[in-house]
Amino acid sequence: MVEIIKSVVCPICGCLCDDLEVTVENNEIVKMKNGCAVCEAKMVHGYKSEERILEPHIRKDGKLVPVSMDEAIYKAAQILTDAKYPLLFGWTSSASETQHVGVELAEELGCALDNCCSVCHGPSVMAIQEIGIPTATLGQIRHRADLLVYWACDPWSAHPRHVERYTAFTDGRFEKSEFKEYVQKLKGKASQKKVEAAIRRTQVRYQPSPRPQAAVVEAPPQSLARDGRKMVVFDVRKTMTAEVADYFVQVEPNSDYEIFGAMRCLVNDQELDVDKVGGVPVDYLKEVVDVMVNANFGAIFFGLGLTQSVGRFRNIEIAIAMTRDLNRKTKFVISPMRGHFNVTGANTVFAWQTGYPFALDFSQGYPQYNPGEFTANDLLRRGDNDATLVISADPGAHFPKKSIQNMMKHPLITINPDWNAISRLGDVVFPAQWCGIEQAGTAYRMDSIAISLKKVVEAPKGVPPDEEIIRRILEEVRVIKTQKNKKEEEKGQGQQNLEKKM
Amino acid sequence: MITITPKRIFDVPIQATCINADVFTGKTLEEIKKLPITEGKENLILDEAFNISEDTAVETPNITLIGDFSKVKRIGQGMKTGEIIINGNVGMHTGEKLAGGKIIVNGNSDGWTGSEMKKGIIEIHGDAGDYTASPFRGTCTGMKGGLITVDGNVGSNVGCYLQGGTIKIKGSAGRFLGHRMTDGTIYVEKDCASRAGPFMTGGKIIITGAVELLMPTFTIDSIKPKVKVDANLTVQGPFYVFLGDIAERGTGKIFALKATNPALVSYEKYL
Repeated sequence: MVEIIKSVVCPICGCLCDDLEVTVENNEIVKMKNGCAVCEAKMVHGYKSEERILEPHIRKDGKLVPVSMDEAIYKAAQILTDAKYPLLFGWTSSASETQHVGVELAEELGCALDNCCSVCHGPSVMAIQEIGIPTATLGQIRHRADLLVYWACDPWSAHPRHVERYTAFTDGRFEKSEFKEYVQKLKGKASQKKVEAAIRRTQVRYQPSPRPQAAVVEAPPQSLARDGRKMVVFDVRKTMTAEVADYFVQVEPNSDYEIFGAMRCLVNDQELDVDKVGGVPVDYLKEVVDVMVNANFGAIFFGLGLTQSVGRFRNIEIAIAMTRDLNRKTKFVISPMRGHFNVTGANTVFAWQTGYPFALDFSQGYPQYNPGEFTANDLLRRGDNDATLVISADPGAHFPKKSIQNMMKHPLITINPDWNAISRLGDVVFPAQWCGIEQAGTAYRMDSIAISLKKVVEAPKGVPPDEEIIRRILEEVRVIKTQKNKKEEEKGQGQQNLEKKM
Repeated sequence: MITITPKRIFDVPIQATCINADVFTGKTLEEIKKLPITEGKENLILDEAFNISEDTAVETPNITLIGDFSKVKRIGQGMKTGEIIINGNVGMHTGEKLAGGKIIVNGNSDGWTGSEMKKGIIEIHGDAGDYTASPFRGTCTGMKGGLITVDGNVGSNVGCYLQGGTIKIKGSAGRFLGHRMTDGTIYVEKDCASRAGPFMTGGKIIITGAVELLMPTFTIDSIKPKVKVDANLTVQGPFYVFLGDIAERGTGKIFALKATNPALVSYEKYL
């Protein structure tokens, strides 16, 4: 039986595109429309992987052995209650409903709780706490923005439909798409290459031009002064997005902070004592700032190039400060390019549950927050925790060696749909449903808009949603804790009786 | 004097706000042994994790800690009087919100040492971690007074939101030194990494080593022959004096020694 499901939400990146058309045949996705290549890779092929975990496993004598769900739940609960200071990490590829139960579990255990945001846009959250953020929804940007600045991010590769759905290549109510101009530009470039190739063929011996040793920043093109939507890209290398842009500024690595500082001075009509900042001539920056100030509605999008390079949250803080300065002269907004589809949800859910978005600690009985102290990598690097639960994440593939070495010294519980690097290292391994494909739920788009994920196909038999696993672990933890307290009370009473007799 | 040594090597962090001269005052040794601490999520008493002994013949320092305390946090938090000596490394938040007294660390200290302190002295005879003398996340009231001296190097984000007091660093300093400071003095004897004093609106940063890269938001003001660190110390120059952060319309000053900073000579044409 073939069924076409419309308006399916894509559970890959923070864009959460909600216009997919999925064809399901015999409980299997066979075709999809509107999705990007990344989406198709997961929704049509990836989720059916042979590496799927279909039953819970426990490590016995060094080998992972399939066990019943009850046994695995009991074992996991026992590990977590026996540990003095466990860490619960991941959450960003789970639905918000799961994250909500996760906070309850962390509170019950008195442990550290962190999400993947600490290794992606956590610094953005910290910067927002320092200085605030002037931002807008993607819908507003789509309809109104006439200047788009992508800073240290490459949506063409990482968020493939961002430009098409929300910014330069979409027809908004007040601003038109620039897609036709882009196609013309492409055609022009192709014919230019043909001419160059023909010239080369006529020469007796072709000598390639020497590679430039240092990045040469080109002067801003005249087209930057035209009407209509314009796109400017700041990055350390010429990315796919930079190819599309009207103007690309190649900055020296780790010099974004200085460039933002210089641009702030220029926005505030102040003179600088230097000629070049971060490899970019100040005269070029002046022209870019002129374009920014003259825009009706500008939007800056920034990526991990800012949050994970030298300076981290300070980079974002100064970027927001520049946006604030620009708002004295025109309308400007700034927005992070969030990665995992529900990383914004993890921040939002943790914040409305505890007051803090990530890097939490419940050891004192109340939530404490301090990135650098309670963030997963810092805890693991110092070897502070003595058990780890990883859910819907793969630190095994992405964390530094030292962190993983320390993680492996203590028991590890994993909840993931397939055998990724961390699942293979686990002591208790749970299977889970693919959120957004086999499990419905709520996710938050990168601009903090809640969107309902759809269930498209049925999960394999015996594979529960991760929410159910976390809820069952929580119940088991409560049972074990009650038993422990009872035993201690009996022990205490026994001692009291003994003292009385003495 | 109370002497405290760890009973074992700690796996998980210990929060020991009670190791504080004010808390110990007026308590017997038995009462001190029963003070609450936490090891991870476990609630313990001081005696379960540390050996505690008392020497009534010695009055100062009030508390001596011997051994590795690098996993013990919040020692001397909010202390008003008294003296603590730590012979070994010490964990985060040592001397946080210090309101008086003295803490001497004969070892390295971790992050947030002397955070939001108001008065008193912290001496670190080793290296100090990131966020030394900087406030907690989201707080914009930094160190208001007192003195912190570090014999070794310091990490990044030291002296953020500084509102008063003095920080003297004999080694090198990391990035974002004196970020958003409004008053007070930071003196670095060796090199300073880039991005010193961003967003600062007042106070002074004195660097007698090399400045890696000066923020473009600073403008040269003058060349001064010497500069005063505090009542006891004046450093001889000549110094380039930079004003900033001009993007914040600030009047903070960075003093960079002329002899160690030949790269800054290009600024002289604006004088």
